[in-house]
Amino acid sequence: MNINTIVSLAVNGISMGMIYALMAMGLILLIRAIGVMNFAQGDLLMFGAFITCWLTVDLKLPLWAMIPLSIVCFVVVGIIFMFTAYWPLRNASYPAATVISTMGAAMALKEIATLIWGSLPRSMPPLMKNPATGKVAVLKIGSITIQWQFILTIIVGSVFIYLVFVLFDKLYAGRMMQAAAQDKYAAELLGIPTILTTMATYVIVVALASTGGYMIAPIFMVSNTLGTLQLRAFAGVVIGGFGNIKGAILGSLLIGVVEAFSTIQFSQYKDAVVFLVLIVFLLVRPQGLFGEKIADKA
Amino acid sequence: MKKMKSYIKPSSFLIFIALAIFVALVPAVNQGYSMMILNLGLIYSIATYGLSVMLGLGGQLSFAAVSFMGLGAYFTANLCSGRLGFWVDTSLTLVLVLIISTVVAFLIGMILFRLSGTYFTFGTIGLVQVTWSFYLSYKPLFGGPDGISNVATLRIFGWSPVDYNQWFYVLVVIVLIVAILVERIRRSQLGRSLSAIRDNEIAAQTLGINVYMTKVIAFTIAGVLAALAGSLYAMHSQFVSSDMFTFERATSYIIMAMLGGVNNTFGVFVGSVLVTMLPEWLRGMQRYLQLIYGVGVILLMVFMPMGLAGLAGNFGKSIKRKLRSAAVKNAPAEKEDAK
Repeated sequence: MNINTIVSLAVNGISMGMIYALMAMGLILLIRAIGVMNFAQGDLLMFGAFITCWLTVDLKLPLWAMIPLSIVCFVVVGIIFMFTAYWPLRNASYPAATVISTMGAAMALKEIATLIWGSLPRSMPPLMKNPATGKVAVLKIGSITIQWQFILTIIVGSVFIYLVFVLFDKLYAGRMMQAAAQDKYAAELLGIPTILTTMATYVIVVALASTGGYMIAPIFMVSNTLGTLQLRAFAGVVIGGFGNIKGAILGSLLIGVVEAFSTIQFSQYKDAVVFLVLIVFLLVRPQGLFGEKIADKA
Repeated sequence: MKKMKSYIKPSSFLIFIALAIFVALVPAVNQGYSMMILNLGLIYSIATYGLSVMLGLGGQLSFAAVSFMGLGAYFTANLCSGRLGFWVDTSLTLVLVLIISTVVAFLIGMILFRLSGTYFTFGTIGLVQVTWSFYLSYKPLFGGPDGISNVATLRIFGWSPVDYNQWFYVLVVIVLIVAILVERIRRSQLGRSLSAIRDNEIAAQTLGINVYMTKVIAFTIAGVLAALAGSLYAMHSQFVSSDMFTFERATSYIIMAMLGGVNNTFGVFVGSVLVTMLPEWLRGMQRYLQLIYGVGVILLMVFMPMGLAGLAGNFGKSIKRKLRSAAVKNAPAEKEDAK
């Protein structure tokens, strides 16, 4: 194994880790805000991939028109998702009910995507093309070649992570959302519209997952099996420590890198390797990288 | 707790009548393919009973059922298909599966229950992914992507079921045994300990319950039942492949349990059969089936989180109340309104 493969695998792994991190952040935001494990996270990513693929390939929209339109779509999906899979169940007496309803939502999302866009996997053109040849653009440093797509994924992922941190640390709206998440009743007494903050959380979660879908679409085919990626995000969340965004991001990156490097030796068993890492982590350090003190909610 | 007046309650009497009608009527109506699907429903219900012990009694959400089903199925497939060069008697294999799965489930349970709550659930997800990728890829033991075919059918004392209708009777007997067993567990000390853990772990501890061991035993029971289901599945279908043991399958077992009512022995059975048969009944709407299924799960959670059994229970209660208020003639009207 030479330096060449090590670098390209590392970049590959980190970029996949970024996508898992986008999903994992959404998971944690939902767990913190409403205490629900979202089993539809991967299918939201799949839906986002389909929406962006539809806008760019079918409608042939240029990038400047596609981005605002897809954001509108994400907002609509997020609000619909909230009012079907969570809102009717917010006062449910049985805590597992909300979790299981997200499983139902996952199935429904998968099927809606198949009904709208067909069951055949679709290919998406690479976001970064070599203008001369029209093929995938690569970055060459010495003997090392890296696809620009991976670098772009890492950049976009970092920007989104930064934005989420700015929202929750610096902005008033983010503080409102945090207050509503910590104590809904007290927040309502202070005049914070908790329905709006919950809605905002859902929209952010859907936007994060869907952006992950947009970034991953050129690497994989766009198909309704993309939803299985959510299990990696779960693993990242657990490794990082439940309810901790920083930990979840690091955990997801770790999962991505482990996955990338495990393809050298055991490409068939890469799932097994990833989840063995998870199980080992659970046994050795069940509280995660950044141990969380609050009690188990979900 | 109300004191039980007699051993046979009217509801359990009704259930037995319904079961008798079901057993008598179904083989007459269904033949061949739809009978096979129904048999699969019965097999799944065995695994779902294990889930009912874990989730309904113990409150532990576990996805591990498919891993143990795979264990049972592949164990049976290897011993009964001759691919390793020898054959083992099928009823002996069933016994072996029970023993092996007890040991394995106990050990894995001991490892996984070092975690609690949601962490445990994640641990089981990890287990499912690990076992699935081995079932899918490891050729020497699990046949790789092709699976294992030509598994011998069940043979008990020289008799073996020749078609799906005869299998149906065999499976009904096994499911009945499992159901009675689960019902006994529900009323035993173990069941009550589990319920105590579900409701409040710390309180259960103060009552002197060994929380860890109780959970591990429940996990073992669930694992053994799942392995039994897997073994029967291998003999029934005479073919095993890894797509039976994916994470998606695991969620469908949870939905089966929730549909019927996770805490109701009869409900679990109804849920498993309904979820398995639904695609057959809605064949005309094949395109929308998954959509209906998904939306149905959400609606189920909204309107009856305790499943069909919970709904039936409420219905029964309201009838009883009506009867009582009709019997007590001079009951004041406002009291009934308040209810």
